[in-house]
Amino acid sequence: MITLRGLTKRFGATTAVDNLTLDLAPGRVTGFLGPNGAGKSTTMRMILGLDRPTAGEALVGGRRYATLRHPLREVGALLDAKAVHPGRSARNHLLAMARSNGIPSRRVDEVLATVGLTNVARKRAGTYSLGMGQRLGIAGALLGDPGVLMFDEPVNGLDPDGVRWVRELMRSLAAEGRTVFVSSHLMSEMQLTADQLVVVGKGRLIADAPIADVIGGSSSTAVLVRSPQPAGLAELRRRLVAAGIAVEQENDGALVVTGASIAQVGDLAHDIGVRLHELSVREASLEQAYMELTAGNVEYGALATTGSGARV
Amino acid sequence: MTMATTTLHSADRSTRRGDPTGGGLSGAVASEWTKLWSVRSVWWNLLASALLMAAAAGQEAIYVVNENTNSDPADDQGVIGLGTVAISSVLLAQFTVIALAMLVITAEYATGTIRATLQWTPSRGRLLLAKTAVVAVVTFVVGALLGALGSAIADPVLGEWGRFRVAETVGDVLAVAAYLSLISVFTLGLGTALRSAVGTLTTVFMILMVVPTALGVLDNEFVNRLVDGLPGVAGYHFMSGDTDPYPPAAGLVLLAAWALAALLAGYAVLRSRDA
Repeated sequence: MITLRGLTKRFGATTAVDNLTLDLAPGRVTGFLGPNGAGKSTTMRMILGLDRPTAGEALVGGRRYATLRHPLREVGALLDAKAVHPGRSARNHLLAMARSNGIPSRRVDEVLATVGLTNVARKRAGTYSLGMGQRLGIAGALLGDPGVLMFDEPVNGLDPDGVRWVRELMRSLAAEGRTVFVSSHLMSEMQLTADQLVVVGKGRLIADAPIADVIGGSSSTAVLVRSPQPAGLAELRRRLVAAGIAVEQENDGALVVTGASIAQVGDLAHDIGVRLHELSVREASLEQAYMELTAGNVEYGALATTGSGARV
Repeated sequence: MTMATTTLHSADRSTRRGDPTGGGLSGAVASEWTKLWSVRSVWWNLLASALLMAAAAGQEAIYVVNENTNSDPADDQGVIGLGTVAISSVLLAQFTVIALAMLVITAEYATGTIRATLQWTPSRGRLLLAKTAVVAVVTFVVGALLGALGSAIADPVLGEWGRFRVAETVGDVLAVAAYLSLISVFTLGLGTALRSAVGTLTTVFMILMVVPTALGVLDNEFVNRLVDGLPGVAGYHFMSGDTDPYPPAAGLVLLAAWALAALLAGYAVLRSRDA
């Protein structure tokens, strides 16, 4: 469980994180989205006590990270895969890490096997590829078997197999009841991985909602209507427009209705007795929904919510 | 957390995560110890320290022999303790040891590992204490070995002009060890405050070598008092057993005060600045 209360970070005149209030619940993957410079990494750094908040607080299980006696057993994090001495072997890096938190050294070999680095464990980390470095970072996050895991861009530099492996790892960690908080720019990947989305822009919270709600709330999510009766369809369109619902007609004659539920459209078609050959929901991709959300922060300022699970 | 732990396999987890008492300061020390010895640069550094000490001690001993045997009786030093040579030599050999102490913190900033380290040991005080303990102990032992090496090299070169008395030589060797240990802690504190290797090395070099020499040229009574208070000068007074201008113990206290002040400065920076 991660709790952010009015978390704020200013660097001089720039506000990197602006009054962020959030609860990240266990048992699900929370995706952390936002454009470059939106304050995602700074937020994660503040949760780990690397950056000091200008105002507000970030708590892990109700406590500040810096006060945890065995922080690695509470929170595992991959923030920067390059934060490893290039002259130190992966195994020694993890061994130093384990000793700092009284974690048995056999656990080091376990996580090395989990991430598939056993064969190169004694090689210097400086010789690693980006993907191997990323795996080492994930091994470090898993080392203390923590209940909270944070990953900043974990699939950077991974091959398709690695990307899939990370996705399944996140899903299984959440399924075990852990809190998983992951940032990524890969929308398609996030759509497959996350249950809950937190979207920030210019340091402010834009959305905190289940991924289905974010996609459902997009203007690209629409109801598609086809009918063999052009006159009936025209009547349906007239009625919908009269009710203030946006309708567009595609080249093949199908209506694209946005802002009404599939049930509303179906009921209305029934009322006016028009025969339908298709009544379906055309879902936006997460990418479309995300682009809309972050296109203009002021425009979507009204969508910012303070609690979790609010509809977008 | 409670919710998470109950749904996880708790018996399984406790064996993976270690016993509830581990970690803390002893964990931080073990971690720093592991980090120190797991990079090659440390071993190169120790080799360089030994070579530098051997060369400096050999040269120093040759000077003493020359001065005792040349035609000018004014510069005769007579029979000297072997440790005296080690003490003079450490003024040069100290810089590789200083580099070792410095790297314990500046390499963290140079490579970015400080962000990892602070995730493992988020308490700034505990981290700095652990680094101080490791640096102090390692450089004390290294200092003792270097002191012994310098004395051993001096022995055959000095020949009849060298004096070996166990208590005297051991005392000198331990003085060298204490000096290197404290000057290393001083460097560690300074490195924590400055974060950069170049800045730290330059500052330490200025304080130990350049400033005393430059100010000494002035030969002003007040300035000389100030110079006597500098860590390098105080350390030398302590090692050589000078009674003027203050007793050796005062030199040790002064040096320790410098080390403590540097540590406090480092702690203040570590606490207040973002990693």
